[in-house]
Amino acid sequence: MSATNRKLNKAALHTLLIVLAFITLIPYAWLIIASLKGQDDFFSGIFFPPGEGFLGIGWDKLTLNNYRALFDLGFEVNLINSIFYSAATALFATFICAATGFVIAKHHFRGRNFITLVVLGALIVPPTLLLAPGYELLYDLGLLDTVWGLLLPLLAPAFGVFLFRQAVIQSVPDELLEAARIDGCSEWSIFFVVVLPLLRPMIGAFMLITFLGMWNNFISPQIVLQTADKQPLSVAIAQLRGVYKTDYGLLTAATVVSVLPVAALFLLLQKQFISGLTTGAVKG
Amino acid sequence: MSAKVIDRNRVLFSWAMLTPFLLLFAIFVVYPLIQSAFLAANQTFGPGTRTFVGTKNFQLLLADPVFWKSIGNTFIYALGSLFIQLPLAFALALALNSSKLRGKGIYRLIFFSPQLMGLVFVSILGALAFEKRAGLVNQAIAFITRNEKFLEIDWLQQHVMATLILISLWLYVGFNMIYFLAALQSVDKSLMEAAEIDGAGPLGKLRHVIYPSVKPVATFVILLSMIGSLQLFELPYILLESSGGPDNRGLTIVMYLYQNGFDLGDLGYASAIGWVLALILIALALVQIKMTRAQEVNA
Amino acid sequence: MHRLTNTILALRALSSGVWVIACLLILSTLLILVRKPSDQGDLQFWVYSPEHAKMYVPMIERYEQSNDVKLDITIMSNAAIQSRMMSGFFGGLPTADLIEVEKAVAPQAFMGPIEAIGFTDLTDMLVQEGLLEQFNQPSLNPWSVDGRVFGLPHDVHPVMLAYRADITEAAGIDLTQAETWDEYFAMLRPLMADTDDDGKPDHTPLSFWYTNQDLIETLMLQGDGQLFTSSGQPTIHTERNAHLLATLVSWCLGPQPVAVDINEWSAAGHKAKVDAVAIGYIAPDWMCSIWKMHVPGLTGKLKLMPLPAFEPGGRRTSVRGGTMLSIPKTTEHFDRAWEYAKLLYTSPQVARELYREVDIISPVKSLWNDPVYDEPDPFFMNQRKGRMYIELAPNIPLRPSSPYNKQAAIDVRDAMGRLAKYAKEQELYEPEQLMPKARELLETMQRQTERRMERNAFAQEDLAPISEDSQ
Repeated sequence: MSATNRKLNKAALHTLLIVLAFITLIPYAWLIIASLKGQDDFFSGIFFPPGEGFLGIGWDKLTLNNYRALFDLGFEVNLINSIFYSAATALFATFICAATGFVIAKHHFRGRNFITLVVLGALIVPPTLLLAPGYELLYDLGLLDTVWGLLLPLLAPAFGVFLFRQAVIQSVPDELLEAARIDGCSEWSIFFVVVLPLLRPMIGAFMLITFLGMWNNFISPQIVLQTADKQPLSVAIAQLRGVYKTDYGLLTAATVVSVLPVAALFLLLQKQFISGLTTGAVKG
Repeated sequence: MSAKVIDRNRVLFSWAMLTPFLLLFAIFVVYPLIQSAFLAANQTFGPGTRTFVGTKNFQLLLADPVFWKSIGNTFIYALGSLFIQLPLAFALALALNSSKLRGKGIYRLIFFSPQLMGLVFVSILGALAFEKRAGLVNQAIAFITRNEKFLEIDWLQQHVMATLILISLWLYVGFNMIYFLAALQSVDKSLMEAAEIDGAGPLGKLRHVIYPSVKPVATFVILLSMIGSLQLFELPYILLESSGGPDNRGLTIVMYLYQNGFDLGDLGYASAIGWVLALILIALALVQIKMTRAQEVNA
Repeated sequence: MHRLTNTILALRALSSGVWVIACLLILSTLLILVRKPSDQGDLQFWVYSPEHAKMYVPMIERYEQSNDVKLDITIMSNAAIQSRMMSGFFGGLPTADLIEVEKAVAPQAFMGPIEAIGFTDLTDMLVQEGLLEQFNQPSLNPWSVDGRVFGLPHDVHPVMLAYRADITEAAGIDLTQAETWDEYFAMLRPLMADTDDDGKPDHTPLSFWYTNQDLIETLMLQGDGQLFTSSGQPTIHTERNAHLLATLVSWCLGPQPVAVDINEWSAAGHKAKVDAVAIGYIAPDWMCSIWKMHVPGLTGKLKLMPLPAFEPGGRRTSVRGGTMLSIPKTTEHFDRAWEYAKLLYTSPQVARELYREVDIISPVKSLWNDPVYDEPDPFFMNQRKGRMYIELAPNIPLRPSSPYNKQAAIDVRDAMGRLAKYAKEQELYEPEQLMPKARELLETMQRQTERRMERNAFAQEDLAPISEDSQ
């Protein structure tokens, strides 16, 4: 292949990728600009409203009113709820899964094989099958419309146990555990001081995945929670749409508020996050 | 300390570590799973009121045209993601895989980014973007083609499944690309060079070197995306404002389950739907395992 | 000391993501703990319409000054009211003390055994206080099950036709002479020419489309198309329904359709109304206030007239939408809620307010003499529209409260969609040509509804429901 040919190829590749990247990014731009437009200007241009300003854009027509209206409606309550639910689920589920995964990978006791089998078996149970009986159970326990009712069922994902079991098998050598025991470490300090640091990449990744999963979870809070003050963003925004269906500015502003903070956080931590996503597939 | 005491301590430790998981798992997974079998034999009006109907739920379900419609829709979506989304994701991963490519990290980030938006939020955005006349999509098509006729495309009423597939393209192509990229990293460099020396063209390399080493990941991604697609709920639920859309064009299996269980309060019928869905998913997983095994034997 | 260093070592090994999330958890927990419990009134009131809420607020403020009851209004979408109300009923959770329930939502609660209905049965109270006869009878129907009334009707919602009088009068067309839809469409033919050459007619006579379920239902009701008998039996597969279905589809299709698809709610649809893409719009009383609020560009351009009939001498009105005020059984303040319900729904002041603020006429017949209904309305070229609606009110068609009605109405819309597809494929645009297919489709829908009803074991008397919970 000649050098010019290769250059041409490369240029073509870049052009294609740039076009695709553009298509991927356009909805964001549209979303953010729309959230800054007043109701009257919404249809005056696909993106910016035309006007007298720089580039023929009516910069003065852009406003933060939609955001003000949103917080006048008390949207920050839902934002805080979302943060709380997501962070709590992420922390506790990660800890529980790491502990369980470690024990069934490295400890020998009666019933271990059975538990491992059950966990692996649970991987094929679709969560949707548990919706109806899970709801009935929460009703029986009196946990409907409570934070416990929302969080407890989500703290023991079999998938997480499976991932941590794999991670432990791969990155925690038996010899290290034995050496620690000979040094006189208790089982507890072995777990916290020896094992957890070795699982660091998995912990970071799984925590982020769980956080994001809960942030974007709609069906659980929709079914379990009933009081408006307890609802996370996902449910709140869907209900907002019901009332303010034609208030595009308000809806786009709500979407920006719901997505931007968590998206920014994850872009910062993307390396851990992406490595975590692929662990199950490539190594497992 | 005697060895016995140490052993006892270890066993105690094991169970102490397992307790939270086992408790939660037993209460919130195993028990409901067993319950769902009983529930499927009842009709309920909310969890407080129920009456035993035996196997009637399953009989009705199999004769329920709306349920079959929801299965059809769900499979259209799943096949759409299988045959459009995954090849695109793979192509994109191939394009990005070259180590000499500049700006690779940024491209990867951009293509992956929609995944950070949850389905609910994407649905809200999608509902605005696909609106007739005013939406971004129609305006863009009309602008590019300079033909106002395209403003009238009625995505949310007439072409519901197409809309869902398009939105999920935006959402998942980059996500699946990440898996394929990771798999491509594991392609043996020396094999690639050997193939090049043998005079293999790009297609030959794809077939004989890349494909075999990507296959395990590909099967995993296919399974994952089928399982996810068959449980599609939020996207159509929000897009169509909790209805199935005209003629139930956007009704999926899980939406139908939700409508029956939580709008109409019939948790029994909902459980029956859940079981049918679970059987479909388990069958798929078994087929997948069988196929992987067969390939391994052949190889 | 040893333990401390160990702990620090372990913590240092955790990745930054863990720290960020841990901080978020602590921060959000603190914020939730310091969150002031929202200042809750004595009574909770859920409404789905921001317009209703706006109207009640001054009333409530006045009432609060003279009484010691504080009412909190929460505005929620219909879907939210439905899901929260039903999950409250199902789960035995408190909902609100008063709920305004929309017509499409209420029947969900009527699905189970009558004793499991979450609303308080108001029949005896209404009879005792002599309120029952005061209401316009057809307006009670959607809220009654087996003769028991589960909510106060908010409205009558008669339907008229709003038309762009500015354009028709300029063209010298007097639409009020049109008694039937056919005459109406014929009179408007001259305005359908395409003078601006954009490939579309300048004006289309009617804003209607075969995908708009509300409009289909409204026009079917006008034409005496019935989906259920008064005793709740499905009557979907009838010659009358087939005729209506074929007629309505034929309006939307063919070389020169007389109906056009205009979104009733979106900004794009509002713009189309101002641009007079269609001349006529189906106008229940409440729609007037929606237009006043969201489409001010229509001011002084519309006039109202009774709907043209399907046949000479046919019904000139219909009914669309509707709301009831219900008191859930879970309320701890039934008496206070009942007093409030009567204040909001039967007092002359509110009736007046209801009309002035949101153009809705009261279902309380004794209030119909009120002069407020004779005030000229500048939005409609000073027509005395309140009186016009009241004259039509006793003629509105009866609607069923069947919990299967919503689904059946959706089925009918879907049947219409299939009929339209068939018509386009076969290029058949005359109602007569479409009749056989319409019959066939309705028969399928009838069977579907019957199957759905058979499925409900609670409706079968021989199967007594086992109630585990007496709530």
